[in-house]
Amino acid sequence: MKRSSIFGKIGIVWFILTLAAIAYATRLALVVAPTEATMGNVQRIFYYHVPTSMLSLLFPYVNFVASLFYLYWRQREPLRALTADAVAIAAAEVAVVYSSICLLTGMLWGRAAWGIWWTWDARLTSMLLLWLLYVSYLMLRKLSSTGQTNTLAAVLSIFAAIDVPIVYMSIQWWRTQHPAPVFGGGPDSGIDPSMMPAFGWNVLGWAMWGIFLLLFRYGLERRRQASEQEAAHKSIEGPLGVAR
Amino acid sequence: MKLSWIFGSSMEAHHLLASYLLVWLIQGGYAAWIAWHWVRAGKGMQSDLSLNSETNQDS
Repeated sequence: MKRSSIFGKIGIVWFILTLAAIAYATRLALVVAPTEATMGNVQRIFYYHVPTSMLSLLFPYVNFVASLFYLYWRQREPLRALTADAVAIAAAEVAVVYSSICLLTGMLWGRAAWGIWWTWDARLTSMLLLWLLYVSYLMLRKLSSTGQTNTLAAVLSIFAAIDVPIVYMSIQWWRTQHPAPVFGGGPDSGIDPSMMPAFGWNVLGWAMWGIFLLLFRYGLERRRQASEQEAAHKSIEGPLGVAR
Repeated sequence: MKLSWIFGSSMEAHHLLASYLLVWLIQGGYAAWIAWHWVRAGKGMQSDLSLNSETNQDS
């Protein structure tokens, strides 16, 4: 059996399991989890806002590590460098998707809970900066026409990754409108045990979805790289064929 | 608990419904975008990749 066929079947099974996990997690979040006493039902945004936020800080590191490998391999082993580059762009796009959701659902929750859509506190601002950095990364890759685009993007991703720990630590380093960490934020942090299944299943479901998107986008990038190489070969062979 | 409250007229119902729709719209939209390009890229090419290091633009 072809390797691509095996990966395709694993991908389909993974996709079905992911949809099942997300469906179950959504039911737990909207129907089974108890209504929070202070904020009411709008607190249910928590069940995908927080998992999405956690994942939006994880995918930039996938991009960061892949970019480091790209820079290391680009002269030594160009084939491996292309693989790393495909992982890097896939991770950057998934990071933008997850951070966009984090910002938008946070705004919707903030308007209902705080009465404001946005405030320039350290957490929200650093998160917006992270989103802008990865959008810039994608714009650079899309619009730059130099032969060094991939290298420039890899260097940018190293700088972008510096913002990740700042986003994470912002609510501990500065006084913010954004609440303290739900987990590991001191003696009063944490959630009621009855809310844990909904939270845990949403983390699992959205993490599985993120991995699915990452691998799907990686596969697409590899196809694009292959067709780009094929076009390059044809453009070289064409004139030579005519000359013969 | 019944789910019908989510379609109510309160701000919390609107915002919760809107945020769920946003999540599905963005995630589903991105997956559909990849799938569309995947199908387009798959037409007329083999699924097994045979990349050649000699044409890497950065090398």
